Amino acid sequence: MKKILPAILSLFLFASLAYGQNRVITGKVTDQKDGSPLPGVSVTVKGKTIGTQTNVDGSYSLSVTPDVKTLTFNFIGYREANLAITGTTLNVALSEDSKQLSEVVVVGYGTQTRQNLTGSIASVSSKDIEETPVTSFEQAIQGKMAGVLIQADNGKLGQGIKISVRGVASISAGTQPLVVLDGIIVNNEDLSNAGFAGPSDQLADINFDDIESIDVLKDAAAAAIYGARASNGVIILTSKKGKAGTAKVNFTAQFGKSTPSGNRQFMNTAQWLAIEEAAGAGRAKLDFATQDPNNPTFPTLDSALTFYKNSVETHFTRYAAGSTDWTRYNTNWEDQAYQSAPQAQYDLNLSGGSDKVTYFIGGQYLDQTGILVGNRFKRYSARINLDSKLSKIFEVGMNFDFANTLNKRVANDDGFNTPLQIVALSPVTPVIDPRSGLISGSLPGPASNYPLYYNPLLDVGNAYFHTTVYRTLGNVFGNLQLARGLNFRTEFGIDQGNHNEDSYFGSLTFRNTGTPNGSGENTNTTILHYTVNNYFSYKNVFKQDHSLDVTAGTSYEYYHNMLNDVDGRQFPSDAYKEIASAALINGGTSQQSEYSFVSYFSRVNYAYKSKYLVSLSARTDASSRFGANNRYGFFPAGSVGWILSEEKFLKNVSYLSNLKIKASYGLTGNGETGNYASLGLFSGSAGYNGSAGQAPVQIANPNLKWESTAQLDLGLEVGFFNNRLSATFDYYNKATRNLLLNVNIPATTGFVVQTQNLGRLFNKGVEVVLSSENLVGKFRWTTNINFAYNQNRVTFLNGQVISGGNLNYVIEGQPIGVFWGPEYAGVDPANGNALYYTNTKNSDGTLNKTKTSEYNSAQNVVLGNPTPKYTGGITNTFTYAGIDLSLSFQGVYGNKIYNGGGQYMSANASNGYDNQTIDQLNYWKKPGDITNVPEPRLFAANGTNPSSRYLSDGSYIRLKTASLGYTLPKAWLAKMKVDKIRVFVNGFNLFKITPYKGWDPEVNADFSASNISLGNDFYSAPQPRTITFGVNVGL
Amino acid sequence: MKKLTYIKILSMAFILGSCNKALDLKPFQSIDQSQALLTSSDVQITLVGAYNKMSNGNLYGGNVYLQPDLMATQSIIQWSGTFQGLTQMVTQTIPINNVFVDSTWTDGYSVINSVNNVLSALDKVNAADKARVEGEAKFIRGMTYFDLVRMFGRSYNDGDPAANLGVPIVLTPTRAVDASSFVSRATVAQVYQQAISDLTTAESKLPADNSFYADQNSASAILARLYLQKGDYPNAAAEATKVISSGKYKLNANYADEFPYPGRSATHVDNTSEDIFAIQFTAQTVNIFNFNGLNAEYASSNDAGRGEIAINQSFINEFSANDTRKALFYDDAGSLRTDKFSNVYGNLHVIRLAELYLIRAEANLRISAASAIGDTPVNDVNQVRNRAGIAPLAAVTVNDVLTERRHELCFEGGFFLHDAKRTQQNVNGLPFNSPKLVWPIPETEMNANPKLVQNPGY
Repeated sequence: MKKILPAILSLFLFASLAYGQNRVITGKVTDQKDGSPLPGVSVTVKGKTIGTQTNVDGSYSLSVTPDVKTLTFNFIGYREANLAITGTTLNVALSEDSKQLSEVVVVGYGTQTRQNLTGSIASVSSKDIEETPVTSFEQAIQGKMAGVLIQADNGKLGQGIKISVRGVASISAGTQPLVVLDGIIVNNEDLSNAGFAGPSDQLADINFDDIESIDVLKDAAAAAIYGARASNGVIILTSKKGKAGTAKVNFTAQFGKSTPSGNRQFMNTAQWLAIEEAAGAGRAKLDFATQDPNNPTFPTLDSALTFYKNSVETHFTRYAAGSTDWTRYNTNWEDQAYQSAPQAQYDLNLSGGSDKVTYFIGGQYLDQTGILVGNRFKRYSARINLDSKLSKIFEVGMNFDFANTLNKRVANDDGFNTPLQIVALSPVTPVIDPRSGLISGSLPGPASNYPLYYNPLLDVGNAYFHTTVYRTLGNVFGNLQLARGLNFRTEFGIDQGNHNEDSYFGSLTFRNTGTPNGSGENTNTTILHYTVNNYFSYKNVFKQDHSLDVTAGTSYEYYHNMLNDVDGRQFPSDAYKEIASAALINGGTSQQSEYSFVSYFSRVNYAYKSKYLVSLSARTDASSRFGANNRYGFFPAGSVGWILSEEKFLKNVSYLSNLKIKASYGLTGNGETGNYASLGLFSGSAGYNGSAGQAPVQIANPNLKWESTAQLDLGLEVGFFNNRLSATFDYYNKATRNLLLNVNIPATTGFVVQTQNLGRLFNKGVEVVLSSENLVGKFRWTTNINFAYNQNRVTFLNGQVISGGNLNYVIEGQPIGVFWGPEYAGVDPANGNALYYTNTKNSDGTLNKTKTSEYNSAQNVVLGNPTPKYTGGITNTFTYAGIDLSLSFQGVYGNKIYNGGGQYMSANASNGYDNQTIDQLNYWKKPGDITNVPEPRLFAANGTNPSSRYLSDGSYIRLKTASLGYTLPKAWLAKMKVDKIRVFVNGFNLFKITPYKGWDPEVNADFSASNISLGNDFYSAPQPRTITFGVNVGL
Repeated sequence: MKKLTYIKILSMAFILGSCNKALDLKPFQSIDQSQALLTSSDVQITLVGAYNKMSNGNLYGGNVYLQPDLMATQSIIQWSGTFQGLTQMVTQTIPINNVFVDSTWTDGYSVINSVNNVLSALDKVNAADKARVEGEAKFIRGMTYFDLVRMFGRSYNDGDPAANLGVPIVLTPTRAVDASSFVSRATVAQVYQQAISDLTTAESKLPADNSFYADQNSASAILARLYLQKGDYPNAAAEATKVISSGKYKLNANYADEFPYPGRSATHVDNTSEDIFAIQFTAQTVNIFNFNGLNAEYASSNDAGRGEIAINQSFINEFSANDTRKALFYDDAGSLRTDKFSNVYGNLHVIRLAELYLIRAEANLRISAASAIGDTPVNDVNQVRNRAGIAPLAAVTVNDVLTERRHELCFEGGFFLHDAKRTQQNVNGLPFNSPKLVWPIPETEMNANPKLVQNPGY
């Protein structure tokens, strides 16, 4: 659409004027890159509106008067060419220019040229991301857009991934941007039902090889047309469309392999035995000192030491598979969590069409194996986009995508059976139990308490959790030209999905499931999500200087979710895995939920002399989610721009090709709260021992209304040397109020929270984008840099403190999810006790830095921010004689990570027999030792309570994507009748630089991830490091 | 132009027509509170909902008895659990944000709100059911207040219970959040009085038999336990006598029969002849939403538990050689465990007859012989001893009774902590009245309600 619409418009504008000249110029317009013909290029007399367009083979014919000296060639995405007429033939080869100002940007319900934009929109085009060896498009655009922060929960395939546009703007309501694909609102609500595997990425069903462009609407001017859905930004995906011309076939195949991009070091057998012995002794001393003197358990210290030494050594023998030679095995369990991870991907698409009908047909088969044992993701997708001009004024079409994905998922990070929790097992434990010849923990054999915990390897082959999705995303549309420049468009789009989770846990997994003879669950979720848009658009230029673009219409959105689930236990044998065979049906449910939005929107863009720009937009939204009292919300926005470089006083500054300043202000809303959040409800799911029951579940708030965000954006765009060097700067201030907040109410009411419109927060920041064509010509080198700074502050919560688990809190004056808790002060050299700063307030307002071993005496203080303050990316692209190399770095700075697993894995062996990270070797051994690792005390939790001990700097920079390709010369291919052959090698996460000692600083444990629970690591898998080799063939 | 007008009208008609109807969407799985308590049946299903809530693993589904024991069994068990919140109880370092403390508080008041909903709509209940419904509701409320005040307030015998702070008393259902939602803590004495008043009313309103739901004896039994904790021995003995003399219950022939696990295959078993009140578990109620709290921690993973508590040999050595109660301990591949909670779908015994004999024996020993009620302490204790297969005692002291409680009721009712407190024994080196043995008011609750005062030491 993006390329065709302006072409059609220009056709209307120019076609009627091309008559009455006395000289015919003909020629052909080709692509400089490969010599292919370019259809639809506008050919005009320089400085006039007289002109024509090239046809499907790139040729044109234009009659001009004798005084015409120069023709101008314009094509979207290509550099404008002005050529002097010499004779009657004028051929031209246009060169690509991604930053051309006439580039079309997709906005809500329409398009606009980049030049005329007054809003803030970041864009990525298909060629920047195609062939990236990842599962979903969010991963592919990570680090490529200023102010768009993308963070995966962990390195599992198709796992939850968070996007924040200009910071997180809500505490309890949704924080994810609205995703719109070809005008359809795409469901991005997690449909994973069971708490088993954590959230899944609903956008992983989209084959991003079908996507032509990704535009992110960031400020109010750009996003307010989406009203109550827009506070978190809007991601507009536009699928590829066919172009008139000969049919094109494009085929890509790539194959590769992933490995973990990071590891953590754990103790070996000798080290582990030593620290656990020390832990027994430490505990003995503690018990002896603190026992009841009237009724002592241990008469002497020695008796305590002996007791614990025996206890510890009994465990050694148990965990060494019954061997009293505890050093017989030295297992590196971490290695066992990973598998060989090959992947293959095939993409085939066909496109073409005539003047009347264009088509794009795309297909993909993707098969990725995850780095964690048992994890695998497959996707089949097929797309058909058709566009047909039934008459000069009436156009209909459809864009349909059918996807089938299969995700073989692994347990969430909190499960004993998640592969990476395997690191807790003792190094003395062999992988294969010599007593049975089976994997340690198998039956028959000692399995109830051997090895230390349930062995996750038992899930491999004995259990599965398969998520199968069938999804149809598509729309049909009609476009009627009512008059010149006036169009009416109607579109009906659906996102229909069947999301099935089928799982079976065999009898060998009993220790984890608590069920001896197998258990299975099947959950089916069906969603229907449709959007109906009807709108008029009017574009015209009056008296050459007044350009007007008006859009007005309505939208209706409806969502319906139906879920059913059945749980079964007691299977005849592990050969039977479907619930049909379960002797005991122990659970089942069916549920439904729905919501709707009814909306009215309009937008007016006006430009005077192509340099003074004004835009106004407004949307009224009503939603079923809100009480009748406050159902409607009104979201207006206005913006202005001034293109100074078009002014006389700058027009002659030859090196300055563009200078624009702009400002916008507007309101957007957020209604992503519970579907029935305003109601006071009783639920019927409260039966007891076979009798039906009901219980109150939610407290009413009939006044519930929209969360609203007022955003100011000030921007500057500048380009030099015909835009070889360009930059944009944006300052924004997003102030959110009437937060849809789950306010803690006294639990004595019987409820814990009530959703209220309470609270204020802001996100303020700057975004800088620089792009430069450092070298042009045969050796081409371009650099794109994006950088963003965001400050997030909660300014008002009516004094509340909201906990997000671990150390994450929401507190006035601090960013969302701020780490707040006791400050670790190291170890008392005298006795090995963990110490904390009391941090009570002194009378002068300073903090009392006295150290205490009493954890509860340490006051909570602000310890860090889980969200990066600075984010950015830098991409360098080099091309030379068919060779292309692109390197994209991505990084974040200024955030901390809390290792929630630290209480077990970095616990100076004071929380049991878990294997310890290597840094724990430096534990306190004798009075006078200066160290940060307290004395080991078996299960006595010395220093393991949540504190800053487990916080680390989470900054990193990594080579996110790298690609190296070689395109075979045209001359060779012409003989084979092949358009293009490119061979390539792609890399993903090739290396990183970070002070973080864990697996991966890009982390937020999947089972706990929420708006508030941020920056937590809990046995979370690192991102995969992937290398693929592939070939792309164009016919 | 005609065409334009036509389309305009068409599209406007579409939008306006759909508007209000399209926005008026009602929930499927729940109903509005205004429609929830209209009939007698509505009130009765709300009462069933209160049982559902009290059977939650965080409450009478186990943790209300597990947690006090974890705080007081340092010399009796080896803890190897991974729930940090429980480790904090074992190490007697409970921070204000302990998640288990928080759950007990919030789930406790959720039960109370359910019950208050029932009591607020008693006028809707059929005359025939009214007294029973009121009695059951008050039984649940009274017992819940008693268990909350035992954990969140200082012991009744520690200082002045009329001055020490207990928990807030809420007697009306919540329909909206307003000024009245911000309640203050009542004193320990006031909360005990509320619990006594509720349980006494329940005792008078409940029928003598009420299936597995609370009956008159359930209320008397909990009252007996409460009076003993409070140090009101005459009433404790009197209430225990009511239950014993009702004749409805008798001790199982074998101690192990109280913990049935037929074929060592997890299954629901109805109350035994000894059970006075028990939480009913079934394969359908123990699931990812709810759990059997005692099974989870005490039972081996062979029996669906997490196997995080091993019993010290030294505790087992306390039992005499032929004590059949000893058979309830077994070696789980190197860890000694109690077998009491191995049936994951087995009922959780809230109170059973043996405890009533021991309550009466102790209470009668502590009051003058003249005012003693029912059978003699020695006979009551020997009832329990005989069943355990050990020699009867010729005479008993209070200490004998306490030892018998320790062996008969171990791990069942949080008695390691509660008995230590009422008898003023040290708890692993901490004095019985140490602030560390009183839970903090949860952090979120303190933040949500400025009227609350935190306990000392937090």
